[in-house]
Order: sequence, then structure tokens, then C-alpha cells
Amino acid sequence: MSLSLPRENVPPRRRRSFENSGLTPYLYLLPFALLFLVFVVYPVGYGFYVSLHRWDLLAETRPFVGLEYYRNLFDFSTPQAQFFWNSMKNTALFTVISVPLLIAVSLGLALLLYRPIFGRAFFRAVFFLPGVLTVSVMGILWRWMFDNQIGLVNAIRTDIFGMQPLPFLSTQGLAWIPIIVGTLWWTIGFNMTLYLAALGNISQSLYEAAEIDGATAWPKFRFITWPLLGPVTLFVFVTTVLASFQLFGQTLVITAGGPNRTTQSAIQYITEEAFSNNQFSSASAMAFMFGLVMLIFTILQFRIMARDAREGS
Amino acid sequence: MAHPLRRTSLLALLVLGTAGAQGYTGPKVQLSFLHGFTGADRPVMERLIAQFNSTHPNIQVRAQAQPWGTTWQQLPSLVASGRAPDVVVINEDQITQFIARGAVSPLTDAELKTAGINKARFYGPLFKTADYEGKSYGVPISSVAYVMFYNKDLMQKSGVTKVPTTRAEFLKAAQQCTTDKSGKKAGQAGFDKGNLNTWGVSLYNNWVGSRMAYAAILQNGGSLVDKNLNANFNTPQAVEAVQFLVDLVQKHGVARPNSTEEAELAAFSQGKVCFFPSGQWYTDRFEQQKMNFGVAFVPRIGSKQDAAWGGSSHLTLPKQRAGYDANKRRAALEFMNWMTSPAQNLTWTEAGSLPVMPTVASNQKFEGRPIAGVFSKLGSIYATSGFPWGGQVLGPFDNAWANAYSGKQSVKAALDAGVSESNKQIQQARKSFQ
Repeated sequence: MSLSLPRENVPPRRRRSFENSGLTPYLYLLPFALLFLVFVVYPVGYGFYVSLHRWDLLAETRPFVGLEYYRNLFDFSTPQAQFFWNSMKNTALFTVISVPLLIAVSLGLALLLYRPIFGRAFFRAVFFLPGVLTVSVMGILWRWMFDNQIGLVNAIRTDIFGMQPLPFLSTQGLAWIPIIVGTLWWTIGFNMTLYLAALGNISQSLYEAAEIDGATAWPKFRFITWPLLGPVTLFVFVTTVLASFQLFGQTLVITAGGPNRTTQSAIQYITEEAFSNNQFSSASAMAFMFGLVMLIFTILQFRIMARDAREGS
Repeated sequence: MAHPLRRTSLLALLVLGTAGAQGYTGPKVQLSFLHGFTGADRPVMERLIAQFNSTHPNIQVRAQAQPWGTTWQQLPSLVASGRAPDVVVINEDQITQFIARGAVSPLTDAELKTAGINKARFYGPLFKTADYEGKSYGVPISSVAYVMFYNKDLMQKSGVTKVPTTRAEFLKAAQQCTTDKSGKKAGQAGFDKGNLNTWGVSLYNNWVGSRMAYAAILQNGGSLVDKNLNANFNTPQAVEAVQFLVDLVQKHGVARPNSTEEAELAAFSQGKVCFFPSGQWYTDRFEQQKMNFGVAFVPRIGSKQDAAWGGSSHLTLPKQRAGYDANKRRAALEFMNWMTSPAQNLTWTEAGSLPVMPTVASNQKFEGRPIAGVFSKLGSIYATSGFPWGGQVLGPFDNAWANAYSGKQSVKAALDAGVSESNKQIQQARKSFQ
């Protein structure tokens, strides 16, 4: 019947041919793709161009210098190589120390605050609240707490325990303590909240069954809670590692990277090279080197995640 | 019709005390003005601009206030794309690099003269802050300085009757102010410099603290850079000057080791230290605390001259694209002249700035104010300016001070290491200017 009325078939066929052309998904992707091109691909490409030239917006010539600024990063007679790898080492050190703490302490707090204890909501709020502060407020607070002379920590050491004050802010090694303690205090609430949510998803029947079999607290945690928290632990691990690598504000405000650049983070040094020293090409090369290291790290993480996913299934 | 109108506006000008300041007679222009006075100084600046606009019917200034750092990042691209504001305020620590990179256009003597801007009106070193290779690039509008606050009560209690002005007086006064927890004075047998109750002078571990070393080096006839603009803050004069400061801690025990600016600020407010060298910007704070304090110029520790560090802000004209309206440039110069004239500079000191010219410093408004204690020597204030690689010199210098002060390295070793690092960085920076 419809075959005898070919006229009516025209519009549907046209629409169908448009749908069949496969353009629709790309049209949906177009807005994002445009933003991605303008705000990610173009700046990254431009940054790479900058790193290959002796580049200054105001200079009349911007000569191509190839990999000179990358070579500088491997020539240890240059301050750039010394300070860049020093700042990378500092950032790695911070990550290695802070990530296990940020996971273990937030899990511990979540386990404590998951129980129906008195004032639970209050404590959850108390641990979560510091996260709303800006990094400068948090930094000044912990700089004051650990001040060499007037800090609360030293006041407790001298006035209560009769110990000598420690110059935390100007001693190599010790300067990390206010940074790590401050970061822990500042960011612990977010991870804790994730763990609390995950704990809520574990079925109580598993614990009841374990209790019937005579399991005590530790086996229950070891064989039920911990494995079932696996996916959220992985998520917390990945996000915390990435956040730790972006260390910047804490060291800038608390120690200004000192003493002697021993707490200077990679991003802090790249910022110094770009905006204090006006060496944009050099800073771009460092940013790409930093990005490369992060990329290698992320690939490793993805491999671990893929392996875990296989084991999980 | 035109006659009475003109008379009225002339009368208005006379009333406002700006008659004769109208140097620009061209067609009506609009100027964009970018500045970083975003704090408590912002309303004062806005008031001045409104006043300028109401007294200059043929020049309309549209001001934009934004944080300094944003301006330093934006200015190069604004200039490169030919969209630079007509007037920009640039600070002493940035100005030379912007000049060397060609972002700022020089002000010729003829232009300054036509606009009525007389260099001699300003403190000499302050005006020269914006000079480079024999040309002037900016007119100072605002100034801050390193000064020495002193606690009158503690000085009196310690038997110090005169604010020290020489090295010997300074050391002696500092020793008199210093007592340990058991009551022994500095220099006495059994004096324990590790357990101070009160002390002579505040030295401390950040960039502000290192400006004391800068003052001492200048006073000894040294400088941060040599004629070729390479770092040279490790000359014998520099080492001698910094050694004196470090000895105040390590040898004489009249200053605390490993201290921070916040700790010394608190100690000074609590009356535990006689002399607190720092930025004059703390004056308001001590006045509000009703402290019995005074402000003096940094005592002459060195042998050659009076000197202290100062920061400043300069009105500049960025480089514009070819075919830029010459009337706008003339109007901008008129604006610069008006803004840096004595009457306006006096108003501007309400924002916390020091006077930028002797005429203003002698105004009776300052009589009896603590800050007036440094006014006779405002001509001996020197910025860390004149070399295009500020970060590459000041970073290593501040670090060298921290290492020497904390005793991590000897003074000589710390300054040598700082100069070596600085010059390696300058070597790379130089290539950008070729």
C-alpha cells in the first residue's frame, strides 16, 4: 500500500539517510570537541611550540632552539636541571609520605565514625570542614602553629614538656612536618566521606554470617570490609596521588619552598621559572617533562587498575 | 553664552586649587588606566581619578584595578597585540624587565617638560628607579621603605637614651637592650644567648629580613649587581656588611637565631625587643595598638653612606601600536603630572604611601607622627631595580641571607654560592634579550 504512495516515503527516507550517515553522535560530541580543541589541544600545542623556541611575547625575534631547554634539564651544571629534579624529588617524597597517611587515616576515621557513636554527625562535620578553607588560610594557620618561636607546637614542647623549641620552618627535613600535617588536616574529610559512603553499601548480612561463624573484629575487617572497599580505595589512591603531585599552595605559603629549596614543589619551581624569572620557554620544557613523568605514572596506574579489574572478575 | 560658562569652569578650577594645571588643550580623549591598588588604597585612588576627571573636561580617565600579578602576566600580550592601556602602574621589582623587553616607552625630556613634570621635584633615587640605560620610563606615584621601628619603653628601661645612628651606637644600644632569662646583660660573664628575655634587634628569615642585608651592603658601598648587570653581592664590602649582621646573632647574642618575621613582630609588640627593622607598612598597626614606639631610618652600619631598601610604583606609558593618537599620549602625560603633583601626592599618602617628594614630606600634616622620623632621609632609599633579571638576582640573594643568618654556611660561602647561582641564571636570561 505504502509502496503505491512513494511521495509519502520521501521525508522518512531522507531522515533515515541522515541518521544512517552516522553524523549524529559526532554532532553531540561537537560542543565538547570544540572546547577540548580550544582549551586543551591548542594550549598544549602552543606550549610545546614555546618550549622549542627562545620565546618572549615582546621580543622581535623568537628563534627556534630545538631541544635546548630540554637538554638543559639533563645538564647538571645548569641551575635549571638541579632545581627541577630537586623539586621533582621533593614532590615525589611528599607523595610517598602523604598518600599512605591520607588513605590510612581517612579509612580509620571512617570506620570510627560509621559506628553509631554519640556526636557522630558533629565529628563528621569537624573532619570535613577544613576542606572548605582556601589553601592560603590553611597555610597561614599551620605556619603559625609550627612557628619557630611563637608556634603552638613549640609552646607545648617548651611550656609543658620542658623541651627545647625546634625551628620547624627553617630546618631541612623538619619543614615537611607542618606541610604534611597541614595537608592531612585539610584534605582528610573528602576521603573519609568517600569511605563512609562505601561502608554504607556493605551488606550487614555478611557481618552477621561472619559473627555466626565466630569471627572477631579483625577478621571481619580483613576478610569483609577491606576487600569490599577495594574499588573505593583504588579511586581514593588514584585521586590522592594526582592531588599530591599537584602540591603547590601548601609549600608556597608555609615554607616558601625553603629552607634551601628543600620543600619546593615541581609546580612551584615551574611557576618561579616562568613568572619570576620570565623564562617561559624553559618553564614550558619543564612542564612537558613533568607531564611526561605523570603520563608514565598514570599508565602504570591504569595497568594496575586493569589487573585488579581482571582479578575482580 | 560661552563666556560665563568658561568663567564658571575657571572659577571651579581655582576653587579646587588646580588652576594652571590644565596643560592639555587638545580634543576630548578617553584614557584607560591600569593599576594594582586593590586594597585599602583603592578608594583613595578612585577619589583622585574622579577629581581629575571633574577638573579635566577634555580628558576622561577610565581606571581598572586588578591584582599586580595579573597585570605582570597580561601586559606583554596586551602590548604585543597593540591593545595596551594608555597608562599602567608598574612596581619597582618589575619595571626594569618590562623596559628591557620593550613593553614601556621612554619619556623624553621634552615631553616631561611640556607636561610640567620636573624630575628634581622627586627624591633622586626614587625617580631613577624607573631609569634604564640613561632614559626615564616612569614617574613615581607611590613609595614604601624599610625602616627601623624602636620601642621607647624598653629602650628607656634598658638605659638607651638615643636612637642609634652609627654602627657603634647600634651595637652598644642593642647590647644594653639584651638580657637573658637569669637577668644577665649581653657581654657579661655567664650571659646565655640561647635564653633571651629581651633583645636588641630583630633579624629574621624571609625576603623582608634580607632587605636589612641589602641596606648594609649599600651602606658599605656595595651593590647587588656590577656594571655589566651580573650579580656581585659577594664583594669584600658586602661580606663585611652581612658579617656584622650575622655577628649580632652568633657573636654578640643580641638577636635571635632562626627567627621568623611573625615571631619578631609579636615580640616587638610585646615589648621584648628594642629595634624592629621592617617595612614602614607596620606603622598603622603599631599606632592602633597604642604602642609607645618611634620610626627611624636604618642606622648606618656601613662606612660609606646612608641607605635603605624601598619599593615603589611608577606611572608608565606602555608601547603602543603605530598610529597611536598623539593627543592621547599628551593627555596621559598631563594625567601623570597631575597625579604626581604635591597636592595629589599628599592625598595619596593617606593610602599608606611615603611622600615621593620633599615638598610633601615637609607638610605640617605629618608633624608629630611617628613616620615623620624617617622623612629627612627619604632621599637615601634605593629600590632593587636597574637590572632586567630581578628574580634571578633576588631569589639567590634572599636564599644566601637565609643561609648566612641561620649559620648553615659562613657569610662568604653563602654569598659566593648565591652569586654563582645567580650568574648562571642570568646567563640564560641574557639570551632572551639578544
